[in-house]
Amino acid sequence: MTASSNSDVRPVGKLQRVQGGAHHRAEVGEDKPIHGLYQVGGQGDWSVVGRFLGMCCFRNWDHTGGLPQDGDLLQAEAQIVDVAEDLGELVCTGPQQPGTDAIWSCSFPLPQSTSALSSLGLVQWRGGSEGGNGVNCRGWGRLGTSRIAQVDFPPKELVSYSKETQTLLTTHPLEVEEEEEDEEMDVKPGLDSEPPDEDDAKETKDVLRELTEEERQQILHSAEFQSFFDCSIRVMERALAEDTDIYFDYSGRDLDVSGGSSLSFSRLFYDEHWSKHRVITCLDWSPQYPELLVASYNNNEDAPHEPDGVALVWNIKFKKATPEYIYHCQSPVVSVGFARFHPNLVVGGTYSGQIVLWDNRSHRRTPVQRTPLSAAAHTHPVYCVNVVGTQNANNLISVSTDGRMCSWSLDMLSQPQETMELVYNKSKPVAVTCMDFPTGDVNNYVVGSEEGTVYTASRHGSKAGICEMFDGHQGPVTGISCHSAVGPMDFSHLFITSSFDWTVKLWSTKHNRPLYSFEDNADYVYDAMWSPVHPAMFAAVDGMGRLDLWNLNNDTEVPTASVIVEGASALNRVRWSATGKEVSVGDSEGRVWVYDTGELSVAHSDDWARFARTLVEIRASHGDEEEEGPMELSS
Amino acid sequence: MAEVEETLKRIQSQKGVQGVVIANSEGIPIKSTLDNSSTVQYAGLIHQLLLKARSTVRDIDPQNDLTFLRVRSKKNEIMIAPDKDYFLIVIQNPSD
Repeated sequence: MTASSNSDVRPVGKLQRVQGGAHHRAEVGEDKPIHGLYQVGGQGDWSVVGRFLGMCCFRNWDHTGGLPQDGDLLQAEAQIVDVAEDLGELVCTGPQQPGTDAIWSCSFPLPQSTSALSSLGLVQWRGGSEGGNGVNCRGWGRLGTSRIAQVDFPPKELVSYSKETQTLLTTHPLEVEEEEEDEEMDVKPGLDSEPPDEDDAKETKDVLRELTEEERQQILHSAEFQSFFDCSIRVMERALAEDTDIYFDYSGRDLDVSGGSSLSFSRLFYDEHWSKHRVITCLDWSPQYPELLVASYNNNEDAPHEPDGVALVWNIKFKKATPEYIYHCQSPVVSVGFARFHPNLVVGGTYSGQIVLWDNRSHRRTPVQRTPLSAAAHTHPVYCVNVVGTQNANNLISVSTDGRMCSWSLDMLSQPQETMELVYNKSKPVAVTCMDFPTGDVNNYVVGSEEGTVYTASRHGSKAGICEMFDGHQGPVTGISCHSAVGPMDFSHLFITSSFDWTVKLWSTKHNRPLYSFEDNADYVYDAMWSPVHPAMFAAVDGMGRLDLWNLNNDTEVPTASVIVEGASALNRVRWSATGKEVSVGDSEGRVWVYDTGELSVAHSDDWARFARTLVEIRASHGDEEEEGPMELSS
Repeated sequence: MAEVEETLKRIQSQKGVQGVVIANSEGIPIKSTLDNSSTVQYAGLIHQLLLKARSTVRDIDPQNDLTFLRVRSKKNEIMIAPDKDYFLIVIQNPSD
């Protein structure tokens, strides 16, 4: 029998499903009985054999009260059925001769619609067979929808014990023993050795029984458990906190050997709440407690309700990852420092021009003292704060970007002790971005400006104010550092500057042109600092996340050690610790990275002499290039 | 009861801690952060070790008693705080 492909579409009526249809899926040519009763309302009755959700088959046949037969006619006699639900229009698209397969389509939404199926809506019905007639289904196949039966098997629970009882240990074996013995007696009257063995086995099994939930709760709530827990958890936490590895092998067999002689990452300080989305503006190590490091943060643009200025004091001695002290104020803090002669005070210079003082003796996180916002003090961001002097006679020096330098007494911040406008050649004031005092000098200092020029200045004396100008950088000067390593020779006339022009330049206060320019960077160099212990070493950080350690005794062309911090975010500040063993860098994401310099920064006694020779070489090579030669200046 | 939970959670979240088990003096686990089979294994074996360790200490000096036991192995460290009625086991990986 062939099915002609005469597609003659005629609506016949609504296909209705009778409740209680069973589910079966018929394949083509399948010889299985399939159930389900469907009725097409109004136009005769169709007995649909099969499940309407899947590959169903149904034929139109001539009901004689029995099962549908092959070749049944289109018209069928009425069959009493219970109408359940309208499924949709049933449409015949094939020939309707007796003996042929009729192709019927019905569009209806499937009762259990999945997103894929409901879009179909059109289910192809194919012919099938019932009652073992063996009629093969023919007809073209259109993809029918099939229902995926989801079966959920709960995961198999592994129970390790075979027994779970609630009776007491002592009574249990006896009872079982008796039962067992009875059984044993019944089954094997002669064997006496078995009960004792089983007895033992049962006893050991009972010892290992599991506690029920109630027992557990009971124990957990008991007073003796609480006291046990209290004591032991305390000891345990202490033991846990000490995670020194006693198996550490100093011969380095397990580690790679290069670990000791290069920059290695030591700590990362970051606080989710206070550091996030804030750029680190300044870092400072405490002179009294070498393990304390203060970092100041800019404002968090994503959190306008949080205080704009934050300063956190971190501790590298302990492993805890939270700051020792959290300070904040209303205006972004752009510079921060520990007050050298007052161990409890932290000085901050803010964007608004105020200088704030935090005290760790008070429990307040807000400043205990503030300078007034007046024209007598600063009205521009204070990018440099520095405490100079001696224990008995010290001053806080602050310079803002409008060229004003103020000197304060830490006891009284209501007005500055003296102010000075830093103007060069009586023209416009200098926009100071960084400042440093040479070691031991309280009168003369160097400042870097936004125009790229560096100036020396004095606080007192006949030449109070700007003294000399040093020109060389092509971009704003971001960092300045005076040579600070104390040794057999004095290099305190040297200073380095970093700038947006991708270079770090080495200067002497005696010459107004740079002695040397370090051009290994490929981005703005944001900060540079001499090592406090090694005469020829300095660190520089740039906007690509690079931290460079230069050792001029080794090489003046490339850094001796260089590392890119994780995440390669721009590094804003670099500070050596007082011992010179650690370098801290602050980045633009609010993270403080502390690196260990290890062997690199250890100064040997001949380093000073070597550095003097290096300087001579530098001057010699550099002097050749410049025809006029550096001008000798009176320092 | 809630503080016990909280404390256990805090310990569990410390760096390197693999699991915490509390068991009673018979070696039956009461509370644990490990799966059932490991818990039972640890509780049972440590219990036996504790008995031996305690008896060793007392044999050497009857006035003495075992207060803390640390078993350091290649892969991790098991710290046991025993008591009269219970003991606390913490398994830690110290190099983490």
